[in-house]
Amino acid sequence: MSSSGSKLRAKRLAELNAGAKPNGQVTHLETVAFGPSLSVERFGFGNGLELLFCEDHAAPVIAYHTWFRVGSRHEHEGKTGLAHLFEHLMFNEVEGRKAGEFDRKLEEAGAESNASTWLDFTQYNVSIPKDQLPLVVKLESERMSRLVLRDPQVKSEKEVVANERRYRVDDDVEGAVSELLWATAFDKHAYRWPTIGWMKDIEGFTTEDCLAFYKTYYAPNNAVLVVVGDVTEALLLKRLSAAYGELPPSVLPLEDVRPEPPQNGERRVEVTKPTTTEKLAVGYHSPAMGDFDHPALSLLSEVLFGGRASRLHQKLVRELEIATEVRAFVGPFRDPGLFEVFVSAREGQTAEALLAVLDAEFDKIQQEAVTAEEIARASARLELSMLAGLETVDGKASTLGFYETVLGRPGAAFERLEATRRVTASDLVRVARRYLLRANRSVIVVRPDLSASDAEAAQ
Amino acid sequence: MSHAAVVERLADENGATVLLETSRALPLVSISIGLKTGAIFDPAGKEGATRLLSRLMRRTGGGLEAQVIDTRIDSLGASVGADVAQSTMVFQATVISRSLDALVDLLVDVLARPGLATAELERLQRETLAELTDSLDDDRGLARRFFRRRFFGEHPYGRSVTGTSKSVPTVTRSDVEGLFKKNFVRGNLVFAFSGDIDAEGASRIAHRISEALPEGAALTDPTPEPVAVPGRRLVIVDKPERTQTQILIGCMGSHTRDEDHVALLVANTIFGGTFTARMTQEVRSKRGWSYGAYSNVPFDRRRQAFTMWTFPKADDAGPCLRLELDMLRGLRENGVTKHELSWAKRYLVRSHAFAVDTAAKRVGLELDQALYDLPSDYYSRYLERVQAVTLEEANLSLQKRLSDRDLLVAVVGTESLIGGAVRDAIDELASTEVVPFDRVE
Repeated sequence: MSSSGSKLRAKRLAELNAGAKPNGQVTHLETVAFGPSLSVERFGFGNGLELLFCEDHAAPVIAYHTWFRVGSRHEHEGKTGLAHLFEHLMFNEVEGRKAGEFDRKLEEAGAESNASTWLDFTQYNVSIPKDQLPLVVKLESERMSRLVLRDPQVKSEKEVVANERRYRVDDDVEGAVSELLWATAFDKHAYRWPTIGWMKDIEGFTTEDCLAFYKTYYAPNNAVLVVVGDVTEALLLKRLSAAYGELPPSVLPLEDVRPEPPQNGERRVEVTKPTTTEKLAVGYHSPAMGDFDHPALSLLSEVLFGGRASRLHQKLVRELEIATEVRAFVGPFRDPGLFEVFVSAREGQTAEALLAVLDAEFDKIQQEAVTAEEIARASARLELSMLAGLETVDGKASTLGFYETVLGRPGAAFERLEATRRVTASDLVRVARRYLLRANRSVIVVRPDLSASDAEAAQ
Repeated sequence: MSHAAVVERLADENGATVLLETSRALPLVSISIGLKTGAIFDPAGKEGATRLLSRLMRRTGGGLEAQVIDTRIDSLGASVGADVAQSTMVFQATVISRSLDALVDLLVDVLARPGLATAELERLQRETLAELTDSLDDDRGLARRFFRRRFFGEHPYGRSVTGTSKSVPTVTRSDVEGLFKKNFVRGNLVFAFSGDIDAEGASRIAHRISEALPEGAALTDPTPEPVAVPGRRLVIVDKPERTQTQILIGCMGSHTRDEDHVALLVANTIFGGTFTARMTQEVRSKRGWSYGAYSNVPFDRRRQAFTMWTFPKADDAGPCLRLELDMLRGLRENGVTKHELSWAKRYLVRSHAFAVDTAAKRVGLELDQALYDLPSDYYSRYLERVQAVTLEEANLSLQKRLSDRDLLVAVVGTESLIGGAVRDAIDELASTEVVPFDRVE
């Protein structure tokens, strides 16, 4: 922004703050580059709430996201799944608004809304036609502080979440395997339980549990608003200051983080599932998203598993024809997570055969340099994927909110792209040798059994 | 925003339709090449042939090896895929602008000069069979597959786009070559460009591709209108250890040229088209029975099925199914209310902003209009038509188009746990069929 623009903003903020309550006082904190052509303005409010704003007039719509810095990592043994259950409850009754009214009003306004919970965060996203901004500001600010929790709603929502768990985990082979993999790989860290929670914990939640969680974590100083779209800065700040300026901050508890100790030996679990072919899931402890090694390991994952030209697809699906599908994922989390590999065997093939090929390729990549062509291919895939995610205002807001919540740097998507371009063949050998070790992994083998009960035998 | 106002229709001397919307927001170009072909043109007994063709073209363009093509596409920062449905085939490519010309070279090879190598076809057939085996893990997919098969029967809409374990191995190189020659003619292509590209660039690319193909007119769809089967029928897809039950209920639905098509869309919005619609309220919010509860009025070139979808836990399958059937009957008999109608219109009109908020979406609507033979003003007057729907029209459309007597219920669950309750939930059940889940047809 030019110096005249800065002066104008300062003048506008001074006028706004002159009539605002202390919690609604607004400060411009920084301008952050968001790629070559966009920028994001960061504002802070008196109560600790932060706003990331990206003005975008490409279409007459606005994405309005609220990201809370609370996820399943903040839960405790016996209360797993509370952050996710709470995400559901946030769509219920608010003081002065009966249950269901929140969604009904948003839909009537033409909004698209949803929410998600993961290990490190909970986020609520609403996309609205531009003229509906006042409504969404009102509704979102209301539910941040005036949610009403009653037994019948908690009971009903617990049943909905239990059904979601049956859908995503209990009756889904891959969902069940992923859950087992993380539970096997982690002993101490809260990443060991699933975001949706264990079924017995879901069934056991009380309204008091939910109220305590709300009072602790749902406060302006634990949230960041991300707004992208067809609205001016002045109008937006005026509305936000008025709506959120009433909300007091909370005292956030010290997080009881339990760093995961190094794994010193392979862990292996074998299960039977009502499926037709064997499956293999392998999880290697991997660096946190903010670690210097993360972009290099992500690029290595792309070389090995990204698309049909990748090494493991070529080997397992095309050359040997022993797998139907291979894929991998480097966990994008605040703390060290897992580099997950999932392979589905073809009929008559064994998980052991898949693992042997995987091991041979991993051994190879620890010894031989990846070609420049492979690095360029993998890098281009990551670039395309990132750019394609920025097409809509919602895509931009999701990207900003995710990187802000996990790394504290909303423009980090482009920083990572630059970091990826700097990765060398030597970097790939280094991360392969550091992370893709047998002693550092957990292996889940799924045997098909279309008749037996769900007997599981851990080795 | 009216999408039609910003999408250009470019002249193409080769007879192809070319749509374009330029957007410089990102350094990306999206190219869709659509054809009026799909599983309906699979030769008899060779279900899956059209899908095999599309994938084989993607793997053998210009006579190159599949690995060479895959590597080249990835290295360009591009993606190329082919999506085959009952009546349409769309090649979809996205590329970082700097690599556009190189990608177009490849697209010409894929679309006009595919090698269709026998060895690659055979590999693809083996892959497809393995995918069909893997798909047995997907309960929702199983429900949809059995529903389609039983609902439409021998009608082409009953076919599986992927094919079956019996049909896929029977497809020969001659079959796919025949399909290629029949479908890939100049007049059968619709080009849709969006993103970082102008009219000159789009015309040049469309011209290069269509010029490499033989002349020929767009195919005519020979598919007859499907006919509803009388009575209430049940198919239970029996799968072990299901804690949950996938339930699909369907009857004959809508045609885009019905005079009450939009009225039915509006009425469905009230019934099961949104997160606060009647189905979600009754099934999820009040009873907690299913994580999702929706109804749908899809379209194709011929009449499609109206469907209702829920997935309650096994214990709730019977009561949930009964509730849904009662709701469907109530909907037909009592209709929707004036208040609900006003609400649905506001929702549909305002939320339309998100159907047209990017250049790719706006061009995509025009592409659909061309491929599905939609009325020429289907999208340009869509909002106007929604706003004009009266209460009487909405309720008459429900009575005229939907049926709670002639319907199919497809259920995926453990028969020993849910079979009795599910049967009991359907009054005047005309037929029941129990199929093991791994005997997919």
